[in-house]
Amino acid sequence: MNLKKIKEIPIVKKLGFNRIVLTGVLVLMYVVLSLIVDKFAGMPRIMSALNYAYFLGFLSLGVTFVIATGGIDFSIGPVMFCCALVSGYCLTSHGVPMLLSLIISVIVGLIFGMFNGYLVAYWKVPPFIVSMASMNIAKGVASVFTKTQSVSWPQAAKGGWFRSLVKVGKFPVGIVVFFAIAIVCSIVLNHTKAGRYILSLGSNREAVRLSGVDIKKWEMLAYVICGTLAGIAAIYFVGAYTTVQPGYGDQYNNEAIAGCVMGGTSMAGGLASIGGTVIGVFIIALLQEGILALGFTKDYQLIITGLIVIVAVYADVMARRRKN
Amino acid sequence: MGEVILEMKKIDKSFPGVHALNNVDFEVKRGEVHALMGENGAGKSTLMKVLTGIYTKDSGTIIYEGKEVEFHSTREAQDAGIVIVHQELNMVGHLTVAQNIFIGREFKKGIRIDDKKMNEEAKKLFDRLNIDIDPTMTMSDLTVGKQQMCEIAKAISHDAKVIVFDEPSAALTEAEIEDLFKIIRDLREQQMGIVYISHRMDEIKVITDRVTVMRDGCYVGTLITEESTKDDIVNMMVGRVIYEEPKTQSQVAKDAPVVLKVEHLNAGRMVQDISFELHKGEILGFSGLMGAGRTETARAIFGADPKESGEIYVNGQPVTINSPEDAVRAGIGYLSEDRKRFGIVVQKTVAENTTMADLPNYMKGLFIDKKKEREVAKKFVDSLATKTPSVDQMVINLSGGNQQKVVIAKWLCKNCDILIFDEPTRGIDVGAKNEIYKLMNKLASEGKSIIMISSEMTEILRMSDRVVVMCEGRKTGELMIEDTTQEKIMNLATRDIN
Amino acid sequence: MEKKKVPAKIFKQEVIVFLVVIALLIFFCVASPDFRKYTTILTIMDYSYYIVLMAIGVAFPLITGGVDLSIGTGLVCYSLAGGYLIMFKGWPTGLAMIVSILFGLAIGTLNGILIGVMDLPPFLGTLCTCMITRGLGSICSKNTGISWPTTGQPGSWFRSIFKYETAGGTKIPLGFLWVLLLAIIMHFVLNHTKIGRYTIAIGSNKEAAILSGINVKFYHIMAYTISGLFAALASIAYSAVFKTVLPGTGAGFELEAIGGAIIGGVSATGGAGSIIGTFIGVFVICLLKTGLPFIGLQANWQQIVTGLVLIGSVMVDIIKKKREAKK
Repeated sequence: MNLKKIKEIPIVKKLGFNRIVLTGVLVLMYVVLSLIVDKFAGMPRIMSALNYAYFLGFLSLGVTFVIATGGIDFSIGPVMFCCALVSGYCLTSHGVPMLLSLIISVIVGLIFGMFNGYLVAYWKVPPFIVSMASMNIAKGVASVFTKTQSVSWPQAAKGGWFRSLVKVGKFPVGIVVFFAIAIVCSIVLNHTKAGRYILSLGSNREAVRLSGVDIKKWEMLAYVICGTLAGIAAIYFVGAYTTVQPGYGDQYNNEAIAGCVMGGTSMAGGLASIGGTVIGVFIIALLQEGILALGFTKDYQLIITGLIVIVAVYADVMARRRKN
Repeated sequence: MGEVILEMKKIDKSFPGVHALNNVDFEVKRGEVHALMGENGAGKSTLMKVLTGIYTKDSGTIIYEGKEVEFHSTREAQDAGIVIVHQELNMVGHLTVAQNIFIGREFKKGIRIDDKKMNEEAKKLFDRLNIDIDPTMTMSDLTVGKQQMCEIAKAISHDAKVIVFDEPSAALTEAEIEDLFKIIRDLREQQMGIVYISHRMDEIKVITDRVTVMRDGCYVGTLITEESTKDDIVNMMVGRVIYEEPKTQSQVAKDAPVVLKVEHLNAGRMVQDISFELHKGEILGFSGLMGAGRTETARAIFGADPKESGEIYVNGQPVTINSPEDAVRAGIGYLSEDRKRFGIVVQKTVAENTTMADLPNYMKGLFIDKKKEREVAKKFVDSLATKTPSVDQMVINLSGGNQQKVVIAKWLCKNCDILIFDEPTRGIDVGAKNEIYKLMNKLASEGKSIIMISSEMTEILRMSDRVVVMCEGRKTGELMIEDTTQEKIMNLATRDIN
Repeated sequence: MEKKKVPAKIFKQEVIVFLVVIALLIFFCVASPDFRKYTTILTIMDYSYYIVLMAIGVAFPLITGGVDLSIGTGLVCYSLAGGYLIMFKGWPTGLAMIVSILFGLAIGTLNGILIGVMDLPPFLGTLCTCMITRGLGSICSKNTGISWPTTGQPGSWFRSIFKYETAGGTKIPLGFLWVLLLAIIMHFVLNHTKIGRYTIAIGSNKEAAILSGINVKFYHIMAYTISGLFAALASIAYSAVFKTVLPGTGAGFELEAIGGAIIGGVSATGGAGSIIGTFIGVFVICLLKTGLPFIGLQANWQQIVTGLVLIGSVMVDIIKKKREAKK
């Protein structure tokens, strides 16, 4: 009952109880990791975690819109790789200028988003089928386009000016961009027609349709936003990790969804929080960093993220059951 | 008719705010078809749900085959031999007829399900009922009528002694009803006790031995069918005192222009050749019994469901309505009978729901003008006297009446001139009801035109300026309020023997 | 009259898909002379075994209205676990196989519990186990490629279950017989046992199934357990056909299996499906996979084509349903 009272305190209510708890978890994780891992505290680790958080964050922001409609998109990881590979190949092998390459990356993401959204909204193909298919199409397109070669984006010194989008010197520019885009997403979700309709149709599709709203258009838009953000994520992925290989990217689906669901977005649709997603993404990114710092391999990352999603979604299922 | 097999005595059941059953008595004899009649909401279904263990009674006794019983699930009732054939079918569409009849208790031969034996047994059941259905057909390929027959066969296969038919004929064609009656007569021959719930007067006369009438959760009386007339039964059904003042005269000006004209509207079986006119400032009541096709008509007009043919004119201009979007553009608003599913978005606030249909007018450039949105919501909260702590309250936390007001606010906000109220006071308590009525009258006097679908006779009589009566997907009559009586409506709403 | 209609309807989809397989075969034979070789058949068969097995298994969750995305990475995981025991711990092949199968059953049951009991959305629950099995596979194998005993080595007997080499050196794709047999058995399970019947009932009308007193949770779990079991059987077929199994692979296999099942007439929204149809449907995928390189398209085109074919066949299903609803 005490908990209820705490939730009613104005400042807590304003910031959201869940988000405060999540921030607490994030801080606690950092403190614990700093205590048990030698040299965990300090800039290098933080920078490394941030690098992970950028691209994952964009994916997560995008998928938040899709999940808000009550759908799902788990093609985003491979789509991000496809964006990075296609645009990177244009840049390195076809001599396309840098700026144009970056735009191509976003456009490829946009096209995948339109493809997914059109099939889900206008054809009512189940979202999981669409995701599965476009995941493989993305991998296939990337492989065919690059002739199954990996692509390395240029270093900053060699014309890779796009890296200043990630960091300039020691200053993490990426975090500024990420927060800026997160704020834009938050505004779109909470203060525009698009966001209002996306959330409302996720909650009660028929009521929104019977209010005379073209729900297909808005549902499709959620997938388009998601795809576009995957295109932006691609830029930050190569900005941090330089090289992309065709045929991969699956694992990031799960991590992006994890960040989103942990942040309080309901799988049933209708409830979403960009702020929550942002914190969720930082937790996931810090977790991946922590797992590696503790001497475990990438494989443990997969397993732990998987378990986290199961727990987060189950909590959501239980919360809904209690309401009914 | 044999001895009494089932007796329900002084059954009492309350739900929060509703006294659903008030000391109801009911009995069924072996070899009898006993009709249970009453208006919508009279308590027939509740009584049967108490019998079959879906609800537990507050007090009273049920005596079955000489022993006092109480069932806690349909399964228990089934095992004892009391089964109910529901109006909505509970079938697995992808399985065959025989597989459905024996689902959950398949015959087996080792690990293999013995479909051959199940088909044979189903065939035997059908033979016993004189039905010609192939047990190997896939369920979803059958007509609704045939599916109903399968439900009956399934019920009988449980070794039933008492069968309750809950409006079995609602979805059947003439020929299928004939078949159904043949089956019921056979079952009567076999000394089963049969409860038959129906609104159709002609059927009652044809098939039943006795009629028990209920009204407002109370037992009214039991008649021997042969000795009674349709008027006797209708009088028992409607004979309640009307507390509210009925409207005696239409409030619409004689020369009020026609704002909505519907001509020869067709949309499936439930909407057949519907034509009517709605005048400015009029409240047009749509009366009829459950399943008369009123909601379907409203949804077809509103573009929520596809229509096959028909013309719609708004203010004299023909309009094409293929989606709710088109309807809203034409100035029509629809308040659904099922608010939670079709009316409100419960996880959104009062303000957000208010502007749902008119959001483009609450934009400041790209952004929603939340200040303006709150203001308009506040305006409607005040003018409709919606009880909510603030306009930022989630709609899920409001009571039914106040949720309804939020839906009304949504359409007023959109400034729709034609409003379709589908069961506007369903699930709303008396006080809030009166407020909604006042509001509707006010809207009409301000020049809005209202179609009001209602299953409550008193509501129709109190609110309407004119009444359209529907029965089984057709318009059966139109009455000016001056000439309207409950009996007239009931006569139009129930089908006569041709 | 009506009696004859029913089987004709059931077999319709299967017959059409079979004709598509034949058409594809003819097309590739005409388009490429190199395709017309016995070795091509062997290649197609090699690819088909594990996909067919996965597809048979995943048909069950699909028919309940769910999906199992963990079968691809699961397959690799079970294979790595079994292979590791043989390679590094000296276990006999038979015992290792049993371990693989038990592993598959366990993951399948876990999926079943997540979805049937805990009510997680199927795609999400199995997406998690997909990642988990991928991680587990790498951990089991200490992140190296694993080879089950190759021909000539002791313990390689299991390879000849699938590809039998006669004294004369001719290779016979014996595996086809076994997967066909398993398909027939599972066809029987789907259509003539309680497990199958209730799998269909859950996918078609779960509410009615519950009201009929069926232990829906148990049968829901069973559908995923079957899927897990067949992913494990597929892992053995995979290990027998290919030399090395690499950790971190396997993602994407599930698309081929689910695609095969849906092409073969399993409804993407649940309630209906045919195992024999699934069996034939997989060969559409396998033919494309082996055939496309012969007409000059890189192997990766197959991924794109498979994705499009999957969406195409779901769309056909949706159009068909719309037409039926109109009637």
